[in-house]
Amino acid sequence: MPDITELLWALGKIGFMLAVILGTLPVMIWAERKGAAYIQDRSGPNRASIGGVFRLGGLIHPLADVFKLVFKEEIVPAGVNVFFYHLAPIIMMTVALSTFAVIPFGDVLLLGTREIPLLVANLNVGILYILAISSLTVYGTVLAGWSSNNKFAFLGGLRASAQMISYEINMGLAVLALILVYGSVRLNDMVVAQGDLLWGFIPAWGVVLQPVGFVLFLVALFAETNRNPFDLPEGESELVAGYHLEYSSLKFALFFMAEYCNMIVGAAVVSTLYFGGWQVPWLTTEGLRENAGTLLTVSLSVGTLLNLLFATGLWRKFQGERGTLGDRRELESGILAVVFLGLALATGGYLLVGKPWDIGPAASAHFATVMQIGQFITKTLLFSWVFIWVRWTLPRFRYDQLMRLGWQYMLPLALLNFVVTAAFVLFTHG
Amino acid sequence: MGYSVHGPKARTGGQGQGLLPKESLYLIEICKGLFITMRHLVRNVFHMGDMPTLQYPDEKPDYGPWLRGRHRLMKREDGSPRCVACQMCSTICPADCISIMAMDDDRPDVEKSPETFDIDLLRCVYCGLCVEACPCDAIRMDTGIFEIAADNRAAFQVDMDFLLNNTTDGVKS
Amino acid sequence: MAKMTIDGKEHEFEDGMNLFEACAVARGENLPHFCYHPGLSIAGVCRMCQVEVEGMPKLMIACNSQVKDGMVVHTRNERVDGAVRQILNFHLLHHPVDCPVCDQAGECSLQDFYMANGLYEADVDIEDKIAKGKVKPIGEMVMLDAERCVLCARCTRFTTEITQTHEMGIFNRGDHSEIDVAPGKTLDNNYSLNTVDICPVGALTSRDFRFRRRVWWLSETDGICHGCATGCNMSIHHSEGIVYRTKPRDNMDVNRYWMCDHGRTLYHEIAESDRLTQPSVRKARGELAQTASWDHAYRSIEAAGKALGGDDAALMIILSPHATVEELYAAKSVLSDSVGGALLGYRLRGSEIGEGDELLFDADRTPNAAGAKKLGLAEYDAKQLEAAANEKTMLLVVGGDLALAAPDAGAALSKFGCVVYLGWQENSTSMLADIVLPTSHYAEREGTFVNREGRAQTFAAAIDAPGEARDPLRVIRELGALFGHEPTWDGIEAVRSELCAREGAFAAMAQGVGPLGLALDAAAESEVERA
Repeated sequence: MPDITELLWALGKIGFMLAVILGTLPVMIWAERKGAAYIQDRSGPNRASIGGVFRLGGLIHPLADVFKLVFKEEIVPAGVNVFFYHLAPIIMMTVALSTFAVIPFGDVLLLGTREIPLLVANLNVGILYILAISSLTVYGTVLAGWSSNNKFAFLGGLRASAQMISYEINMGLAVLALILVYGSVRLNDMVVAQGDLLWGFIPAWGVVLQPVGFVLFLVALFAETNRNPFDLPEGESELVAGYHLEYSSLKFALFFMAEYCNMIVGAAVVSTLYFGGWQVPWLTTEGLRENAGTLLTVSLSVGTLLNLLFATGLWRKFQGERGTLGDRRELESGILAVVFLGLALATGGYLLVGKPWDIGPAASAHFATVMQIGQFITKTLLFSWVFIWVRWTLPRFRYDQLMRLGWQYMLPLALLNFVVTAAFVLFTHG
Repeated sequence: MGYSVHGPKARTGGQGQGLLPKESLYLIEICKGLFITMRHLVRNVFHMGDMPTLQYPDEKPDYGPWLRGRHRLMKREDGSPRCVACQMCSTICPADCISIMAMDDDRPDVEKSPETFDIDLLRCVYCGLCVEACPCDAIRMDTGIFEIAADNRAAFQVDMDFLLNNTTDGVKS
Repeated sequence: MAKMTIDGKEHEFEDGMNLFEACAVARGENLPHFCYHPGLSIAGVCRMCQVEVEGMPKLMIACNSQVKDGMVVHTRNERVDGAVRQILNFHLLHHPVDCPVCDQAGECSLQDFYMANGLYEADVDIEDKIAKGKVKPIGEMVMLDAERCVLCARCTRFTTEITQTHEMGIFNRGDHSEIDVAPGKTLDNNYSLNTVDICPVGALTSRDFRFRRRVWWLSETDGICHGCATGCNMSIHHSEGIVYRTKPRDNMDVNRYWMCDHGRTLYHEIAESDRLTQPSVRKARGELAQTASWDHAYRSIEAAGKALGGDDAALMIILSPHATVEELYAAKSVLSDSVGGALLGYRLRGSEIGEGDELLFDADRTPNAAGAKKLGLAEYDAKQLEAAANEKTMLLVVGGDLALAAPDAGAALSKFGCVVYLGWQENSTSMLADIVLPTSHYAEREGTFVNREGRAQTFAAAIDAPGEARDPLRVIRELGALFGHEPTWDGIEAVRSELCAREGAFAAMAQGVGPLGLALDAAAESEVERA
């Protein structure tokens, strides 16, 4: 019988995870649009504003999108299978969110004597859970495609199922090699193992131990998340919109969000498996705790400097923009400059007054946790960006190319990688 | 490095057809592509002013005097239309968007003048042939107005009064 | 026969034939010309039709020469072209070049010849040109612009030779020569618009057609004038469902090149406000007629028939010389022969007779009286109508206006139990009728008229009928069906072939009438001779 505080902590962690994912969603959408724009020499979204003042470089657009999608007419076409039609987006979103349960986002949190592991469910099958749950996504796409009673949607669903099943094998083989290396299927064990150093200076990250596995896993992940260059299930030039063609309003929004959720989860899994998860390179949890004072001082100084830099830059922009737009949008840079100046003053003030180099052990532990969570989020965001970056760089595969790549090139390579890894592990540890 | 869609190899897929070995590995090429896009991104982030995008409603493009904008009818010195309703413009018009009704004019030096001169701006393709055809330089497309939008069709059916005074602002209200 | 060479090719023509006509045949197109007109005397003033005749030191004008055996003529060589260009330059010297405001633009000989033979730079500046009278109304129908005139003298010859009214002449000398009406006169004869037709340039324009439509937008459909029994051939010029003018169509056996102003301006009635466009039904005598659907109108006829006594009720039909031969035949065969209606006749004796003239305008103002006669229909008089009138009879009037023809007829009409009127125009008969069925105008339907000389001439539909107006043939067919005798034919071709088969007088029409009509009597005679 778990005591009530355990339950509350679990709920708290779930809430934190959800907040992080759902909070990152609009940022991802923004990054996708803005990144695509800059890659293509455009300026991207910059119109929507709050109060005619704050445009935040287009960050308001996802918000506007939400309003748009919520208030759009909800159309259920004639001839759909109503039950599965409504079930499909729910499956998509649920699967996308529940994968996150086993991903550790930090080492244990010390609260007095209590040690709280920073992951929602410390399952002993960790990575298998992820593989199992994420393969359920295919139900969402197939059901959506089939129940829509639309040829394009149906084709999209078919493509999605074939593609996901094909690439799941490669993904599984890549992960299997990784499990051999770490000797555990528990994700947290893997992350902890990645805290070591190879030959004393290289972090023993998965990518270093399993470079081929990493490439295979990453490619398979792109295919699993239906992201470009593997976005054939929703190839708009061929299938209009693919499996979610007949969805509108919030149900479409669910598919849309699920895609980004999958992306974030994928990024989190990659960083956990191959890039040390919450591990700060060269610094173990103990190391972090011992050097907390110095690190905090350094980060505060850097933060202050960056804030000042932003403030001056924005102020210059404010001066330059004056009189060009002819309305309240001109104020934005000025106000933001003041905000950043305030932040700089706050961090700088704390640096001078708060003696950050001399903090207690409890605070040190908390600082270490914050650093690790920050590290995890940073890595996740970076890999999410990789998803976007790749999408706006590569063209889409043809379907036969996709299948050939999966079965004729990646599968043998994955098997080879697995056998070589197994042999290596056998000879070194055996 | 011939690539033939009819060749048996091409038909079976064309994976790596006509590529060098290091190109057919893809990964290096993908990285090159990624760096190209990243180069663009970084350049654009740090040199936003150099982007060719025009912040359209705030900044207006300068199309120069050769832009064929919304039509206008020229006036005589006394303010009456210069048009003599010869209907050359409506004859040449490929979109059939000009309709003119002519009338006898009582003035001694003017024999014929338009009673009505209507242009359906929704039909107009802005080819400028009417301007070329006009023997009296009565119709021009030099207003520079290219923002022609409205929320009802009637606003696009412009008449002689409108065209005679059509120099600046947007839509007929 | 004269054997001769034109442009290097051997031809054979009748002796004494006009060289202009011979060249036209040889070339396949006319020589450039302004003054030559086949219906007028030779003036030889425009000098445009000059040709080179071997053996002659100078160029000859073709229109004033005759073909001769052994003649060798060149119509297209450098010398002829140069001469034509110089003459044209001379004609255009003082021309105002105001084509944008000129109605002739598009059918102007000056424009055509300039494009074909001219294309030189003007020698005289526009400011130095001699000013003459512009925009001068010289009659009810004709507008004069003396600046555009090339002094071909066609109009003066027309008023001298054809109408012999002598209104027009050429005044002043040299550069200052200009056409005008004689002092104190106006060009107001009934044929004045022919001067506009024959004017090769824009000097004379029609006030009726002035500025209404540019000519290149007009389509032409062959029509027959319904203004009188002459049956002048005309072409109907229309565009987008509107008739803009009618012009004579050459037919040497009927109207030659001319047409009267009365007939030309009749087309206005097509778009007049008194057109009947929707059936109307009057509930009871004395009430106002109300518009109705065709269905309702037919049901009203049925109901009226029952109210008049069912099977006892009689049907009487009055036809009209305004209806086409096909319609008269259809009405006669379906409504009279099959249904059993009594046929009173086709016209009140002596009605619609006015004053005619020697030239074209006939005293009989109806287009198809001869056709009705050939169908065996008779005239009736007021007494017959009076006698036929009774409350148990339904009267069907197909076209025409009885009440206008005889004032007494109106009183007689109101004595019928029910009056059904079939026509395209509101008139005193339609006002008196209980049920009005609107039909199409002549320009909106096909048909055949037989003119005063017994010539059958067909016309085609130029435009669509307005509103719900229907082809009279269709209405007759529907009425037949309503009375229980739906005819076997459907469409005018079927009516025509039945007409040719059943009515001996029209048997010759079976081979077709042709664009210039068919003289029925002559055709019947030759048929007999052949037999």
